[in-house]
Amino acid sequence: MAEPLSPLGDAWRPGSHGNFRDGTGVTLTETRPGSIVQVTAWPDTDDAVRAAIRDSVTLDLPAMPGSGVAGEALSGFGIGPGRYLLAGSTEGLETKLRAAIAPETGAVTDLSHGRAAFRIQGESAEWVLSKLFALDFAEAAFPLGHGRATQHHHDITALIQRTAPDGFDLYFFRSFARSFWHALCRACEDVGYEVR
Amino acid sequence: MTMRRASSGGRIDRTRTVRFTFDGKAYTGHAGDTLASALMAAGVSVFARSFKYHRPRGVFACGPDEPNALVTLISEGVREPNVQATLVEIFDGLDAESQNRFPSLGFDIGAVNGLAGPLISAGFYYKTFMGPVVGSIRGTRAWMLAEKAIRRAAGLGRAGHAPDPARYERVNAFCDTLVVGSGPAGLVAAESAAAAGGRVILADLDATMGGSAKWSSAMIDGRPAAEWAAGRVAALEAMPNVRLLPRTTVWGYYDGNTLAATERVSDHKSSRAKGEPRQRSWTIRAGAAVLATGAQERPIVFPGNDRPGVMLAGAALRHAGEFAVLPAGPVVIFTNNDSAYTAAAGLAEAGAEIAAIVDVRPETSDAARALADKAGGELLTGHAIVHTHGGKALSSVSVRRFTLESGTFSGETRRIEAGCLAVSGGWSPMIHLASQAGGKPAWSETLQAFLPPEPTQDWTAVGAADGTFRLADIVTGAEAPELDPAPAPCLEIASPGKAFVDFQHDVTADDVRLAHREGFASVEHLKRYTTLGMATDQGRTSNIPGMAILAAATGRTIAETGTTRFRPPFSPVSIAAIAADRHGDLRPERRTPLHDWHVERGAIMQPAGLWFRPRIYGDPGETVEQAYVREAKAVRERVGIVDVSTLGKIAVQGPDAAAFLDRVYTNMFSTLKVGRARYGLMLREDGFAYDDGTTWRLSETDFLMTTTTANAGRVMQNLEYWLDTAWPDLRVALTSVTDQWAGAAVAGPKSREVLAACVTGTGLDDDALPFMGIVHGEIAGVPVMICRLSFSGELAYEVYCGAGHGRHVWEALMEAGEPHHIVPYGLEALGTLRIEKGHVTATEIDGRTTARDLHLDWMLSGKKPFIGSALMDREALLAPDRLGLVGLVSLDGRALTAGAHIVERGDREARDSIGHVTAVCFSPALGKYVGLALIRGGKARIGSRAHLSDPLRDRFGPVEIVSHHFFDPDGSRMHG
Repeated sequence: MAEPLSPLGDAWRPGSHGNFRDGTGVTLTETRPGSIVQVTAWPDTDDAVRAAIRDSVTLDLPAMPGSGVAGEALSGFGIGPGRYLLAGSTEGLETKLRAAIAPETGAVTDLSHGRAAFRIQGESAEWVLSKLFALDFAEAAFPLGHGRATQHHHDITALIQRTAPDGFDLYFFRSFARSFWHALCRACEDVGYEVR
Repeated sequence: MTMRRASSGGRIDRTRTVRFTFDGKAYTGHAGDTLASALMAAGVSVFARSFKYHRPRGVFACGPDEPNALVTLISEGVREPNVQATLVEIFDGLDAESQNRFPSLGFDIGAVNGLAGPLISAGFYYKTFMGPVVGSIRGTRAWMLAEKAIRRAAGLGRAGHAPDPARYERVNAFCDTLVVGSGPAGLVAAESAAAAGGRVILADLDATMGGSAKWSSAMIDGRPAAEWAAGRVAALEAMPNVRLLPRTTVWGYYDGNTLAATERVSDHKSSRAKGEPRQRSWTIRAGAAVLATGAQERPIVFPGNDRPGVMLAGAALRHAGEFAVLPAGPVVIFTNNDSAYTAAAGLAEAGAEIAAIVDVRPETSDAARALADKAGGELLTGHAIVHTHGGKALSSVSVRRFTLESGTFSGETRRIEAGCLAVSGGWSPMIHLASQAGGKPAWSETLQAFLPPEPTQDWTAVGAADGTFRLADIVTGAEAPELDPAPAPCLEIASPGKAFVDFQHDVTADDVRLAHREGFASVEHLKRYTTLGMATDQGRTSNIPGMAILAAATGRTIAETGTTRFRPPFSPVSIAAIAADRHGDLRPERRTPLHDWHVERGAIMQPAGLWFRPRIYGDPGETVEQAYVREAKAVRERVGIVDVSTLGKIAVQGPDAAAFLDRVYTNMFSTLKVGRARYGLMLREDGFAYDDGTTWRLSETDFLMTTTTANAGRVMQNLEYWLDTAWPDLRVALTSVTDQWAGAAVAGPKSREVLAACVTGTGLDDDALPFMGIVHGEIAGVPVMICRLSFSGELAYEVYCGAGHGRHVWEALMEAGEPHHIVPYGLEALGTLRIEKGHVTATEIDGRTTARDLHLDWMLSGKKPFIGSALMDREALLAPDRLGLVGLVSLDGRALTAGAHIVERGDREARDSIGHVTAVCFSPALGKYVGLALIRGGKARIGSRAHLSDPLRDRFGPVEIVSHHFFDPDGSRMHG
């Protein structure tokens, strides 16, 4: 099948940018997951949904709101009451989850094309994100694996997961991706950044 | 006053010379100087001309309290007016300009206003410009005549027009404790909070931390206070849980312990690093705030108190201690309290000559007397300054014996030679942030000052900000004289001559009394009538003296006169810092997966909400009308393709999805078969039409709802609202999948042939894909979902695929359409095709129309209740004279104009409107200019004539009212 096109177009400029004389503070990548899937539980099926996710794709999501698991091949985190976002490196995640989760248990929604995913990593990642979101990015407040649903300046919905001590994955509506990418790059300029 | 640089001392770096210009003249200073200190060291005494009377004014205070020395900074062609010279750090290349003077600071013709003083006293504007008619000139007319001249003569700096190339940014911070102010009290608080392990932010508006310790002569832990402070700052800096924010003014205290601050990141630099902002706006969410904001000194009001050379005693001390700038001539101290004795001793120690200390109190404390001895000069207790003398610089002061209780004078007036008069009227805690946080400030009769209110949020005030003035009460190990912090209750020396209360707005003590005589007894009215305290400094030095004078005039106490409350910001904040990175980027842009293809194809892109959509794909030399007519014609005659990816798409999933849709749509969806789509209409709860679109049933429990592009977000919010509040029992999940799908509508008699040439895996004939049917197949190896539906009235299909595959599929469709000369079409042609068919969009579903108005009553199910069904049959919504949807045909062969009114008579007079035009186009199918309109009576007028009336665009002309179904009313083409 044809490789999906990046929404970034010519805004994607690999290399070092901004004030990188003393090294770059962050690295930006478009992670391009093979699958992005949302799973929604009904009010009384949250445990069943998480069990089905665990059994079908071996991702053990904790029950605590806002928590999650960040893995190499598969990550997931809560984005609302009974609602989870899963992202995997390969295609076909939706099919597996649909097979495991009947409509009586929950809803599975494929968003593989609908969301763009960026990773920001480096010692200045928390600083850069602090410019863009009114969230506390310190590790004590935003531990590894945890996720947050928020907005950039009240108009771009963003889902953010901490995937490393110094790294975050950001999920956006695809149509906003290029616009947000510009804002993200701009916010990185003072610390220097590498796009790769 | 003339000042000079002391040969030693100060916290400036004498090894570094900084070059700058003021009013075009080159000056030098040292690193660590402010513009004010460097200019004073260079002998400049006049910094500005006053607002109304154009009197020469010098530096009066220091830091953010300075009312006089406002300058304009010029950088990269950008003018920044009304900046306090006492806050500007000098750097190489700094270019500053004085304000409100013509032609120069030294000689200002506006000073003639001083002679007209009585004419432009309090209430000048009200009396002159709101007064009765005088001859042919009414007050407001007089204002219009005079405004320009007055604005030029009175006022502050002039803003420029050049765009600011500097960058500003915003950042969010979270901490357990925010300490505002880094004087001794702030340092102690920050240290204790940091030691407890929490995250601490320590902010100070100065470039270096330390606050008053930087110029204090006190000793702490056996070391000079400045040294002690530097040690504490270094220790805090080394702690990983502490963030120091110098050059940062915390200016707003909001709910939820959220504070706003502006960091001047590079205002003090000759050049900025790449990406470095000029200023940074901080939003700080603090677990607790410690307000260590210190206190500000108040002046005493007396005649001639604004002459250059008169300054606050604490400011004189700070200029000497921090910048090594000393009065060149003898200094007279004038005070109502003990603190000025510290200033006297400190100034003497720095090398100034103290001529006299004039104290309104009959007695003074022993500690103060000891300081007076140290300072030298005469000690004149029970005396007051009654006037000052000199031209543009102070040369002497007049002193008389003064009785504090009665405010009366006795004995001869004596002149004392003075180059500087250092005044202290006591200290007011800086309670701005505490007051903003909520609560009513408390008046302290002892301190003659407002103290912070009872906290309603999690903050504490410490040190001078809380009225604790003795250093020993703030820091253990502090050695400082045991002075009495209570001033005498005397803030005005009433003697003949102009005595200024508000320096920035040139409000005198007599103005305050005049206002009282004219009936303004409330401090709030006083402020508005005299403009006292309403300049850029918000009355920093004038509020308390102003209230004291009003209180004396009314025979009340200050506490009874009123309470000053503070609003953000603490000091002026640039709009640029607030706009920050949204400058030039006010809202984000949404792009469809086909955006780049459209642009490469030469489409003119048009904003549609946040989206960008092709308006036309013009050929060289084509007008917009020619282009859309060509595009629309191609659709009617052959085949066209349009990007419909922007349509709102909502996944409605769950066992109760069908039941949910039955409640939100006016028509039935539970009966819809899997693999079929249905056109749906939503109403608002009040019965008016809300949105429309098709919804596709993909499985028993999965629906794909489409909405109009414009309403997508609102519909989603509404659906979620109903689900969460009205029907939480329904097991339905809503997800915006607008961005998941790229959509292309292929329309025209040849559309089936185009699809047949590229689609695999499904049949496309009427049996496999009937009208409103949905099939799944592949195009160029990519899975697609195809629904046969039509907005154009032609045989048409909407082809959906994953957004990342959008361009791949679109290009395959273009290739398949090549034999049929497929044409991409834009919004104009899309609009033309829908007008010809009489389909409604947001311009007709405008929030005022009902389903019946739009002839959609066939969609109102009688078998079930739905949102809006309870209120849609109200009498007024059924009235026959409501605006109803009709078609219009231009009878003069000219284009109609959208938004124009329709009237019954064909002249250019203003007539009662019978409706308005909602959409217009040239219809290639009809060969005429047509439009849709909402007309009173609607269909009843079909066949009659009326007139277009559009005086704004000068378009008048006859129209015929026709059915809104212009073209193929029985739908044979799309079913074909």
